[in-house]
Amino acid sequence: MHRTIAIALLLAACLFAAATAPAAEAPTRDEYVERLEAICKPDALATQKAMKGARGDIRAERFAVAAGKFAAATAIFSGNVKEISAKPRPAADGERLRKWFTYLKRQEAYLGQVTEQLRQEHPTKALRLIQRFIHTGNLANNVVLAFGFNWCSFEFSRYG
Amino acid sequence: MRRLLVALVVLAGMTAATAYGERAQRGDLIVTLNGGFAPQKLPRDRPAPVSVRLEAALQSSDGTTLPRVTRVELGLPGQGLITTRGLPTCTARRLRDTTSARALEVCRSALIGSGRMSAQVKLPHQPAFAVHARLLAFNGRVRGHRAVFVHGTSGQPPATVVLPFLIHLRPGKFGTVLAADLSPTLGPWPRFARFEMDLFRRYGFRGQRLSYISASCPVSKRIGLGVFSFAKATFALADGRRISKGIARSCYVR
Repeated sequence: MHRTIAIALLLAACLFAAATAPAAEAPTRDEYVERLEAICKPDALATQKAMKGARGDIRAERFAVAAGKFAAATAIFSGNVKEISAKPRPAADGERLRKWFTYLKRQEAYLGQVTEQLRQEHPTKALRLIQRFIHTGNLANNVVLAFGFNWCSFEFSRYG
Repeated sequence: MRRLLVALVVLAGMTAATAYGERAQRGDLIVTLNGGFAPQKLPRDRPAPVSVRLEAALQSSDGTTLPRVTRVELGLPGQGLITTRGLPTCTARRLRDTTSARALEVCRSALIGSGRMSAQVKLPHQPAFAVHARLLAFNGRVRGHRAVFVHGTSGQPPATVVLPFLIHLRPGKFGTVLAADLSPTLGPWPRFARFEMDLFRRYGFRGQRLSYISASCPVSKRIGLGVFSFAKATFALADGRRISKGIARSCYVR
């Protein structure tokens, strides 16, 4: 009898430990922000460097040059989203972050489409996509406003 | 009598912005910036008269009293042009301790805009309360620099403030910067929560019709649309923090 109770308790303890293990691994929001900011900062700076003068290139009809810059920015953005989306998320912010990553993926798609339109020398279509890219970025920022991101938040001024 | 017209322009074309503006949060402080210009359709090769609207707000995420603001900077893009040639100026001395009506009486010829402001008043041993003020903007000069004197008056409690914004021209995306240092002697005003301001003025000078603010949409002939960094608001706080937000807008070629 005692042995059965002991085994039952042990099993219950194991089950409890298994159930709570992922939660224990989940970071707090502050830890999460710190981890992501460390990833986003070099990427944001690299984006700024890659995109320097891109809007001037579009204005001056240097579409191929601008496309190259947008392609570089797209690669940085995609790599960044992939890296940060793999990080464990605060348990209480799951839904909010899911929404944020949806917007980021949408932005990533727009950047790719801007690059493509510039390659095909369709500047007006590219600019309309840039407008959507900005709008989606602002929506993304609003979702995670309370996180107080700096480098992981969207800033259009970093894009040329 | 010179015909002077200052208008609050219906900014119907500004819907590119979200209803509440773009926001950023640092710590417990949230900054919001919204605004635009009208008309959005502009010539590509020469500046045309425009009105500019800016709305900025500060709020704390937890509802606590706002920190005192020590400096405000409003950056506008280099493709915008501020013209003051031939425009009368006003002085801070003439505006000090005046009501809005009196300020208009003495400086109407220098009027370049108007707006509203809300601030928090924090008195010792009392919960903070809000004041609402009417704003008027006048063309002026401070130590030889072009400036905008923002005159604010509130009815309850009755108070007047005159803030000089100096106009600086700098290289970079925001080539025109309006900057004001807010001294602690301003009393409750530096804990401001929100302001909105419309700047627009057409005037005549030596037979020419001029505009206080003009802008073009400098894009190539093949492109009918431009997207650019439109404005940036930066607030420096008494506790050493700085918080800023930039917004982008579009122009169309007419």
